[in-house]
Amino acid sequence: MQASLPSSQGYAARKRLQPWLTNGAMIVIIALLMLPIALTLSTSFKRERDVLRKPPVLVPCDGPDGRFSLSECRFDIEGYERVIAPRSNPNSLLGFSLTGRMFSTYVPNTLLYAFASSALVFVFSGLAGYAFSRYRFCGRRALMVAILAITGIPLLTNLLALYQMAVDLRKAGIPGYDERMFIIAVYVGFQLPFSVWIVKGFFDTIPRELEEAAFIDGCTPIGALWRIVVPLAMPGLLAAFLLCFVNVWNEFIAGYLLITKRDLRTVMFGMYDFLSQNIINYQVVAAACVLIAAPVVILFLFTRKTFFQALTEGAIKG
Amino acid sequence: MATQAQAANTTTRTTSRRIRQGSFFNQTLPFWLLLPTLLIIAAIQFYPGFYSIWLSFQERQGAVWNFVGLRNFERMFGSAAFRESVGHTAVFLIGYIVVTMAASLIIALLLNRKLKLGGVYISLIFIPWVIADVIAGLVFGLLVVPDYGLLSPILSNPTLFPPNGLSIPSDPAPRPWIQGFPFPPAPAMYYLILATSWRALPFVTLLILAALKTVPQEIVESARMDGASGAQVLRFITLPLILPTLVVALFNLMLGGMNGIGLVFTLTRGGPGTATEVLSFLLYTIGFGRLEFGRAAALSVFIAAINLALIMLTLRVSRTEERVA
Repeated sequence: MQASLPSSQGYAARKRLQPWLTNGAMIVIIALLMLPIALTLSTSFKRERDVLRKPPVLVPCDGPDGRFSLSECRFDIEGYERVIAPRSNPNSLLGFSLTGRMFSTYVPNTLLYAFASSALVFVFSGLAGYAFSRYRFCGRRALMVAILAITGIPLLTNLLALYQMAVDLRKAGIPGYDERMFIIAVYVGFQLPFSVWIVKGFFDTIPRELEEAAFIDGCTPIGALWRIVVPLAMPGLLAAFLLCFVNVWNEFIAGYLLITKRDLRTVMFGMYDFLSQNIINYQVVAAACVLIAAPVVILFLFTRKTFFQALTEGAIKG
Repeated sequence: MATQAQAANTTTRTTSRRIRQGSFFNQTLPFWLLLPTLLIIAAIQFYPGFYSIWLSFQERQGAVWNFVGLRNFERMFGSAAFRESVGHTAVFLIGYIVVTMAASLIIALLLNRKLKLGGVYISLIFIPWVIADVIAGLVFGLLVVPDYGLLSPILSNPTLFPPNGLSIPSDPAPRPWIQGFPFPPAPAMYYLILATSWRALPFVTLLILAALKTVPQEIVESARMDGASGAQVLRFITLPLILPTLVVALFNLMLGGMNGIGLVFTLTRGGPGTATEVLSFLLYTIGFGRLEFGRAAALSVFIAAINLALIMLTLRVSRTEERVA
């Protein structure tokens, strides 16, 4: 009995040491995980001469004698300048215009696609989630499983057919038809299944009694959805919106294959294009990576709680 | 208690009667609520899926499609490229799942020790998940550019990495030890596994952490009182309790690994040679590179079958978990 218990002195010492050890281990792990990001940041601020050095240097801070000194650091924003390519333009609002394709074309396009498809996903998944959460109709469970199972079709398989569809639609010459509408519909279709499941999970947590009280006060089902359920389930709906936004921003292959007009392409196509253009200018590629990844990383850091909740809910229940 | 249930029952009946009494629109409300979602999913997911099944039995001759029965499947499954690609996918999946699961489990166990900075840590760990796979591919690619990449001095160090281990994208694959199976994998494959795991790790860590939080502390403490070591608690209490989540995470990883293409696209493009040509990339090369839609459709039917099986298994496991909880 006595022997099996840990000696109280050793136990106390371990208790005291443990947080330090755990924190130390965590910091090492995070440093390792952040390494690729840190190296990209350092590359993006280098000058072309320092990028093309053999052997490569981590930070360009060595003087002519090869020793490290802070005063010798040569950092530059040349890479960023070449991505953004600002030109002075007195007619523009800010006094200059962005002439790099990335910021004059691809970023506005992607923002449009991301906002439009997230807004549609927000509305549609809210309506469908409400139906799945509150009504018991025949075939409900089967329909929910079917919506989830449909995501099992490989993305590229769908793209084979959607590619044909895009070609046919272009040829059909429907007045007012635009490639942009098609790509937004495709993004909505890809994001909806998972969003419906997330939103339904959030609706399930809201007690029915609240709506029933509203019904008794003469509220219609749509009115109850709009006035009671939506405000209470806002975190879930926002999560669907944000997930869709990030996924559309990060999407590459559908935009690459389905959009033919260069002026309508997305940021990830721009990134891919950069690779073929700037094959030696690594600082430009790195700067583009930083600029394009930064918005979603910052968005995520501000809304991380919503993300975490939605991801754990959606993955375990779905 | 009984009266409460009864009261709840009555209100439900009242509301459903109210809805039933409403207009035609109100009676069929669930249908109208679901309509936009169903229409879009039908057009963007169902129709293309069935179109691919149809396509897999067709072959283009001139401008018309002809029914060719199972010939696309025969040719697809009989080709050396397919067999090789299945081997690459197996190596990739095993490596990627083992690395991601092991690393996530360790990180989640550390984070579960209620650190003051836990929230900060998990947010930082999550950043790779938010970064696009195309960008992750570029970032990892820049690190190993021969001569100029920041990791290339380490990778070309002959004592650390024996010759053939450097300059990831250009090296020939080593000769396989097992006939017809790409083992040991090419250095490019190790690197692809590393990069893919880097992106998948945050999500799996979050899942496992959420499951660990549900493990009742009383059980763990009483086991410790009875003299169980930390390893024994992990082996006999924690792991069995979070097993359903681990299985869900495993299937999630397999699904992502089977279908992810952005990283392969920007990091290795299936190369060197065909050393990292996993099934999803083979599908791309056949379908959009060589425009052989019939064979690509046959391959995608095969991949879709595996995906569907994984999704159904996930659903089954998570439903069992709900019943247990």
